[in-house]
Amino acid sequence: MGLPNVSEDLSSEMEVDAFRRLFPLRYFERHLAESIRPDGRPLGKARETSIFLGAVASANGSALVKIGSTTILTAIKMEVMTPSLESPDEGCLAIDFHMPPICSPIVRPGRPAEASPVVSKQLSDTFSSSKMIDLKELSLVSGKAAWMAYLNAAFIMQDIYCLDADGALFDAALLSAVASLSHLQIPVVAMNDDGKIVLVSEEDGQKREQEPVNKEKRKLTLRSIPFSLTCILHKNYILADPTAEEESIMETHVTVVLDTSGQLISLYKPGGPVLAYTSAIQDCAALTRQRVKELKSFLDKANSAMEVE
Amino acid sequence: MPKLYKFLSVFRTGAVNAASGSAYAEFGNTKVIVSVFGPRESKKAMMYSDIGRLNCNVSFTTFATPIRGQGSDHKEYCAMLHKALEGAIILETFPKTTVDVFALVLESSGSNSISECVAGDLPVVISCASLALADAGIMMYDIVASVSVSCFNKNLVIDPILEEEIGQDGSLMITCMPSRYEITQLTVTGEWSTTKINEGMQLCLDACAKLAKIMRSCLKEVASDSQE
Repeated sequence: MGLPNVSEDLSSEMEVDAFRRLFPLRYFERHLAESIRPDGRPLGKARETSIFLGAVASANGSALVKIGSTTILTAIKMEVMTPSLESPDEGCLAIDFHMPPICSPIVRPGRPAEASPVVSKQLSDTFSSSKMIDLKELSLVSGKAAWMAYLNAAFIMQDIYCLDADGALFDAALLSAVASLSHLQIPVVAMNDDGKIVLVSEEDGQKREQEPVNKEKRKLTLRSIPFSLTCILHKNYILADPTAEEESIMETHVTVVLDTSGQLISLYKPGGPVLAYTSAIQDCAALTRQRVKELKSFLDKANSAMEVE
Repeated sequence: MPKLYKFLSVFRTGAVNAASGSAYAEFGNTKVIVSVFGPRESKKAMMYSDIGRLNCNVSFTTFATPIRGQGSDHKEYCAMLHKALEGAIILETFPKTTVDVFALVLESSGSNSISECVAGDLPVVISCASLALADAGIMMYDIVASVSVSCFNKNLVIDPILEEEIGQDGSLMITCMPSRYEITQLTVTGEWSTTKINEGMQLCLDACAKLAKIMRSCLKEVASDSQE
């Protein structure tokens, strides 16, 4: 009784799979006509999202973010640097987005993925235009000191690793970068007699003659946090938070970045065969507005969970 | 007496969805992800081959080592991973094609000097890679498990950490297929007496057998979950 049924099920399953591989666009359009996507989501719904803070023990701040199966790990290391002559009272934030060969079948060792410098640039543009971090806050020894050598500022090095690439990389990378900054614990430093900045270890902090220069400021103040949502435009449909498969079939993407107060920070529409009308862009922005609320509550929850511990 | 096994290990398969097979391993402070892609088309420049090819790569995150960006490129790791796995895979099952094994060390516990590289992360990378290969359904003669020991004066320390590696007299790494009792790779560095080396090898082989048991149960768990 059981056996023939099983083989029949298998054959029909094979046909659907073959159709999906041979005619991907038609396969997707058949779904879209029913207002559903192959993974069972409605068109405007983003995938399940989770944030885990403090994933890398050796880093000053870190976050692991999953959106569907897209997985991004960010670790922050802080270093001391000499600020530039143009802005002697400012620190610096450097962002590097890596796509190691483990994350996707497209990436091969020795040949960096095309997407990684693009995402790096988008992220640093987003941070600089959102004014999320006041770089003056990173100044350790202010300009009052007479000698240039005494000027020191903190340098935030943010390394973002894509561990599993399944679409919407920028959204996940931005969320992970923001989450790791919210988790960042600034190490306590002091200035020694030579005017060099040294780390003050927690254990012998009491007995030192050296006065820590940043005793109070252990957390960064994040003024307005940017969140983003990428949508695909295809004919009249708008698909939020695409998977890698959807991104490869339908090529027009719109990424909207909003801050928590709903202000527009940036909007990317890098070409694509679909020309977007104002109404489509507005629809994307509306979807992003909803998503920002959702992401903000996820981030708050992750942060309050850390405080409880 | 040798110190106790530091078998605080975590193994998980299916860490990366985009790959044909993948595994995550956590051993003390070492954290590794390995993805397997293929069998897929070999590079265009490759000659025709009756048997399949194995291509290995090991990379480190910039935050893997205490000083940023220290452990970026390790060609010797790639070569050793390749040699350790090659003997266990039935290459005849995928002629003309290539299986790619890519490892990323998220956090590293051991030191990264070339002579001591055998002792730190490499055993974890190798064991994790063999689990990922099994997850991808690549045919192997047996699971490959890898363990290292360090020798100090009269003590043998299994699975050494960085502080232990620095003061060691010698190190030994064995990669083997425990159910066949066959060794695919054996590395010995430093100073060893004959009795110590025998003792060390036996210790490694026992540890490999235990490790393989843990890895096998991890695979079985996944298989029984997917059946339900």
